[in-house]
Order: sequence, then C-alpha cells, then structure tokens
Amino acid sequence: MSLHYTLSVVQAPKVTSKAMGPQREGSLPGLNKSATLWADMARWFGDDIRSILNNLKGIDFNEVEELRLRVGQPLLVRTLDKDLFINQEGLAASPQKAYFIKHEDLASAIERMTHSSVYAVEEDLKQGFITLPGGNRVGITGEAVLLNGQIQTIKHISSLNLRIARDIRGLSLKILPLLLSSDGSICHTLIISPPRAGKTTLLRDLIRLISNGVPQVGLKGQTVGVVDERGELAGMWQGVPTYDLGFRTDVLDGCPKASGMSMMVRSMSPQVLAMDEIGHSDDVIAIADALRTGVRILSTAHASSIEEARSRPVITHLLDQGVFERLVVLSRQHGPGTIEGVYDLRTGRIL
Amino acid sequence: MLVLGCIALIAGCGCLGLWLAYRIRRRPIELRECSMALALLDTEIVWGATPLPEAFCILKERTDSPWQDFFAELQERLQQGESASTAWRETVITRNAQFCLKPEDWQVIGDVGKGLGRSDRTEQHKQIELVQRQLIIMKEQAEAWSSKQAKMWSYLGFLGGIAGVLILI
Repeated sequence: MSLHYTLSVVQAPKVTSKAMGPQREGSLPGLNKSATLWADMARWFGDDIRSILNNLKGIDFNEVEELRLRVGQPLLVRTLDKDLFINQEGLAASPQKAYFIKHEDLASAIERMTHSSVYAVEEDLKQGFITLPGGNRVGITGEAVLLNGQIQTIKHISSLNLRIARDIRGLSLKILPLLLSSDGSICHTLIISPPRAGKTTLLRDLIRLISNGVPQVGLKGQTVGVVDERGELAGMWQGVPTYDLGFRTDVLDGCPKASGMSMMVRSMSPQVLAMDEIGHSDDVIAIADALRTGVRILSTAHASSIEEARSRPVITHLLDQGVFERLVVLSRQHGPGTIEGVYDLRTGRIL
Repeated sequence: MLVLGCIALIAGCGCLGLWLAYRIRRRPIELRECSMALALLDTEIVWGATPLPEAFCILKERTDSPWQDFFAELQERLQQGESASTAWRETVITRNAQFCLKPEDWQVIGDVGKGLGRSDRTEQHKQIELVQRQLIIMKEQAEAWSSKQAKMWSYLGFLGGIAGVLILI
C-alpha cells in the first residue's frame, strides 16, 4: 500500500478548467443550479432515494450540510439551522410521513459510492468513512468486524452521513493578516472548532491564499505542501483535485500525516505544510521533525475552545511545546465559519 | 455451368471448414488473453487498490479485441452505477457472440463477477486466482485439442465439398 500514495502536483489553471466540483457551476440560474447540484448528489444513491432527491422541492442545495440515512428511520436533510424529514414526493414532511430508509437503500448507496470496489476504500472503511470524488465525506456506522482486536471492516451498514463539502472563498482574508509574523512569513497556526463549523473549509481557503499570495497584505505566494490524509482538502479524484488549492500547492493524497509530512519535506521542499485534523501521537513527532527543517505548519483539530483543546493530551503536548504561534477558534454561533477569535499563543493575547 | 457450380460448392464447404478451424484455433488464444487480463486486474486490485471502473479502463487499453470491447462495456456500465456483479453478468451475455469461447469457458469466466469488488484485497486476490487456475487448465486442454481439430476441419471442409460434388454428379 505505502508505495501507492498518489503524489501529484497541483496545476491550478488546469484544475480550474477541468473542475467538476458542484460549486463551480456559477453560470446557471439559481433554481436550476440547485436542481443540478441535487442531481449530482443523487447519483450516489439507489433508485428510490435518487428519485426523491431529483424531485426535491424548496430545499436549496447550498443550505444543506448533511444528508443522513439510518436504516428504519426517516430520510433526513440537515440544513444550516433545521432538520428536514423528506417524504416519497421529495417534500419536507413530519417524521412519521417521511420516507423510511430500507437496508437495500444503504447497500446500493455504498455500492455506488465505492464504484462496486470495496477493497479500494478498505483502509478508510476501517476508520468509518469514505471520501467521494469531489471531497464530500461519508461517515459510516454498522457492525465492526474485528481480527485480533483490530477493526477489519464494517458490515451490515446501518447509517450513512453524507457531509457536503463547501468551497467558500475569501473567508480567510479577514484573519490572514493576523497570521503573519513581523517578517512577513506565516506563523505556525492551529485552527480549532467543534464539528461542522468550517475548519476544513477555512484551511482550504487559507492554503489557496498562501499559495497564490496576497499582495494587499504583503504576502508573497509560497510553496504549500498538503498532506490530505482523508482526501477532503483537495478532493482528489484520479490525481485531479476538485478544489483549487492555488498555484504553488502540491498534494499528497490519502497518505497518513506522519509519514506524509516527512515525505513532503524530503521531496517537495514546501515552505508551508498544511494538514487536516491532527490528533494522533505520531503526528506530534512528525510535526517536531518538520519544524526542524524550517517549514511552517498549518493544521486543524477538533475542539470547541482553548480549554477543551488543552484537555486532549496530543494537542496539549503541542501547545506546551510552543509549536504553534497562532490559534484560530471557530464556532457555529452565526452560522458555520464564525470566527470566535485569533490568539497569539506566545503572549496569550487575543488579536 | 456445372463446373462453376462444383467449384462454388467445394469453395463454400472449404471456407466453412476453414472458418470452423479458425474458431477452434482462436479459443486457446482468447483464454490466454483472459487469464492475462485477470492477472492485470489482480495486480490493480492488490497493489494499486484501483477502483473497478479505473481498473477496467486500464485493462481495456492493454488487451486486444474482443476483450477490449468487453472491458470497455464493463467500465461504462460501472460508471453508470451498476453493481460489479450485474455488470459482469450482463456484459458476458451481450458480448459472448464476439468470442470463440465455449459455454463451459463462460461459466468459469462468469465466476469472476460473483464476488467482484465486494470484499477486501486478499479475498479478491483469492477469488481471481482460483478462476485463473481453472482458466489455465482449460487453456491447456483447448490447446492440445485445437491443433488436431483445426487441421481436421480445414481438410474436412474441402473434402466434404468434393464428396458433395461427387454425389451430385
């Protein structure tokens, strides 16, 4: 397996022209566009759910965050602020009148999402998720099959959670000046937030800005190495990224962060290393190693506040060692991507 | 006129014999190509963890007709969201007229589709290996048999034609 991590160089112009991401179809009129995006999402499901999603009325795709399928439970669409149960006709209904998910719906969804190739997502499945082309992540629960105490696979899948990835541009422009040190380089930054608050989206936007450079704040474009363990940042599909990560970005797709970081430093000489969701003890050692090469670290972690972050041993260790210089805290207070605060970890001040 | 008729009859029967001989000779070649394609598929699955549509695309490029068309159809079906087992079964049904293989060969080849893509890499490897072993046995049998049979049919066609002429005259 280790030989087959895809090492691919992102070429931004090519990416933009070839991009198949749902967010790029800006020329279509509003309603039509939403329908197209729904149809694009519907192809991952079996006949019943596909026809429901194709007939969905009155739910704007851009407001939807999650699609949840639980066996024996109603089909649920989670938007920014509401949970909507969907009936057979594609309308929002009461939970009792909604369409109830059958086991076959889940089975055919998994079959379509993996292109009938379960072995290809074997490693992801052990961790309880698969990533769709386009960077949308699907969480999976079911019955875990163990071998010598290690999860072998998940069978009898009982729930699916399709999380829709967003590509919101310009979000990080507000905080970027705060992340620059006096000599104009990027500070080592950690972004923390509870789930569904836009960590990955913010990181993606930061990567793009740093890679392209922002003359307004005096930031020159820098070489960025992205270790995309879960395939969410670039949304790589057969070596082509779905999301534009900038002109100077190299993406190592599907590779564990710890080994990916040293591979990147050795082979691609990045100025900035970006990765999603650190939390494993191996990551700490790899980060410490990478720091010695003078590379800047950009990362995210699950935690809703500094206090909570400090209660996680791995993160505490990193914070105590003074690895990170800036901490960005996100929340969902005013919708996803609300910036609660940017902290200077050296002085403890809010910037 | 009579002479022309005789020549036509002999040529017709001869061509029929040659065609049958060609089909008999093609069978071991097609079986060999199939086992080679399965070896490639095995490599793609075990070493590359390549999803099936992509793997079939690679097979399509590396094989000759008629297997090329077979894998092209499979790739298309999978991309449209069909499950691997149905796609394999249906493709065997729609494409088998293009091959010189026998029903017993198709039975073995059909087994590939049964568990395709449903399990982890080790299991996939086991299943493909099993089919390959059977295919190799069949290929060897077909080779031993085909050289004799092909020769017989290529003669028999012309001889049958001559016999027909003699009877009719």
